[in-house]
Amino acid sequence: MKRATLGTLLLAVTLSASAHENHAGHGAAKPDVGKMWQDMLKKPALSPSAAFDAEGRLWLAAAKDGFLLVSRSDDKGKTFGTPVAVNRVAENIAADGENRPKIVLGNNGAVYVSYTSSLDKPFTGNVRFARSLDGGRHFSDPITVNDNLDIVTHRFEALAVNGKGQVFLAWLDKRDQAAAAKKGEKYTGAALYAAVSDDGGASFRPNFKLADHSCECCRVAMGMDRDGIPVAFWRQVFGKNVRDHALVRLDGKSQPVRVSYDNWETDSCPHHGPSLSIAADGVYHLAWFDNAPARRGLFYARSTDQGKTFSAPLAFGNLDAQPAHPFVLAADKGVAVAWKEFDGERSVVHAMRSADGGVTWSAPRKLASTAGGSDHPLLIADKEQVYLLWNTLREGVQLIPAGAAD
Amino acid sequence: MGVHRPFGAWWLAALLFAATAAQAGEIKPFVPGSMKSILAAHQGKPFILGLWSLSCVHCRDDLRLLGKLVGKYPAVDLVLVATDTPAETAALASTLKQYGLQRREAWVFGDDFSERLRFEIDRNWYGELPRTYFIAAAGDSEAVSGKLDAFHVEQWVRQHVGSARSPR
Repeated sequence: MKRATLGTLLLAVTLSASAHENHAGHGAAKPDVGKMWQDMLKKPALSPSAAFDAEGRLWLAAAKDGFLLVSRSDDKGKTFGTPVAVNRVAENIAADGENRPKIVLGNNGAVYVSYTSSLDKPFTGNVRFARSLDGGRHFSDPITVNDNLDIVTHRFEALAVNGKGQVFLAWLDKRDQAAAAKKGEKYTGAALYAAVSDDGGASFRPNFKLADHSCECCRVAMGMDRDGIPVAFWRQVFGKNVRDHALVRLDGKSQPVRVSYDNWETDSCPHHGPSLSIAADGVYHLAWFDNAPARRGLFYARSTDQGKTFSAPLAFGNLDAQPAHPFVLAADKGVAVAWKEFDGERSVVHAMRSADGGVTWSAPRKLASTAGGSDHPLLIADKEQVYLLWNTLREGVQLIPAGAAD
Repeated sequence: MGVHRPFGAWWLAALLFAATAAQAGEIKPFVPGSMKSILAAHQGKPFILGLWSLSCVHCRDDLRLLGKLVGKYPAVDLVLVATDTPAETAALASTLKQYGLQRREAWVFGDDFSERLRFEIDRNWYGELPRTYFIAAAGDSEAVSGKLDAFHVEQWVRQHVGSARSPR
């Protein structure tokens, strides 16, 4: 079996993107907007996802040349087996900071993946899903999960699987915005839609709407509660134009709850979505970014009542160093938060830890740094360890120990 | 050599054409140090610095507004910086043209270390787009995140640039 290191594998993903430039046609009389958009989509695919399975094996999902490649490492990322391509026909797989392929391992050995397949028209795409039932050797043909096929946004999907084999996806969807526009009406932002599969991803029930008026281009976070109900956490437009955060349990009856009151009133694209992790003890841990005049920077809050009420937000990060893209991961009482800063020379990932379920926190500790472009920091864990997963243009993908899991 | 001259003339014409085309649609790479040179080049003169991206939904509204603005007030000095990559120059040029901004000073992030470029522009800017700076002749600036308000923009222009309108 051919083996590659994590770094070289992902560096290859990054560098290969430039090979596409030569496809641009010559002598076209007028600009081909679709073509240009396609070229734009072939920017470096900087953003992978990874997860550990129950045996502690690492699974990496990364986009390369229009294919979603899944590869497994049995030695904590030192070497990887031959990648398996999920899709057989190339697609424009979104893999930038806010919109990346997802990979989730089922407790039955199944491997679930999802991604946003960007379409030619700006800001449009479809949510795609596939699974492997033979340990990642083969994947089912990807299916489009959004049941509305208008050429509009169905992007920024989140993926979660519960112990009953139900598969959940939630994503930002502009079908209602498009319908309103057709009638000459105004519709603020996008909407949050979801789909549920009761048969392990073989089929999905009809899409349903979780909320109107989400922000348009911030990642959606999803966690799995102890009772097998997923919880979505996203940037939502409140009132005329306040871009704060909301949370909803996908139990079919809960209504969205407003989480943050930073009152960032802006008609802008923050490209800066939140993070959520639900601990074994049922506590919801949340982290987000806002840039309101009065409340700027990174915030953490916890909920001990399934998202009905939240602790007073804790501000963290160095405001002089552009703290950004917080990611939270909880085991049981052990919780870690990682985020990125820029110190004037280097991008640095810092982390802070709590051993009491997010009540008290350690001082921030520097985990890694780079002198070039980089992905958002992600945290993953096996049974023993929390790791920072970070792809940087200079170093490639790194898996950096970030302390005991619990 | 009689053949030489017409060939030379054709070559010159082609070169001139290429040079004009490049001037009209030139999008310069914005690299470490570019912010300093933009500020130096505009020192003592009021100007608007607009940050945008192809992937930003709200930026199109601002480009439309700014396109109309410079049509109405040609004296407005506008510098546009896209946070995309030089590989997208064709898409950027065609988007600028769409809004009548093809002759304005345009830059595109030309270094993949975007954090550094952002920091050099403004350490309090987190990358949200559109982001616009109104920089007065004295150097004091006002930053706006999000869609611009036409009334406030015109107010700034009249106060800082003057109210000379396009003769059209």
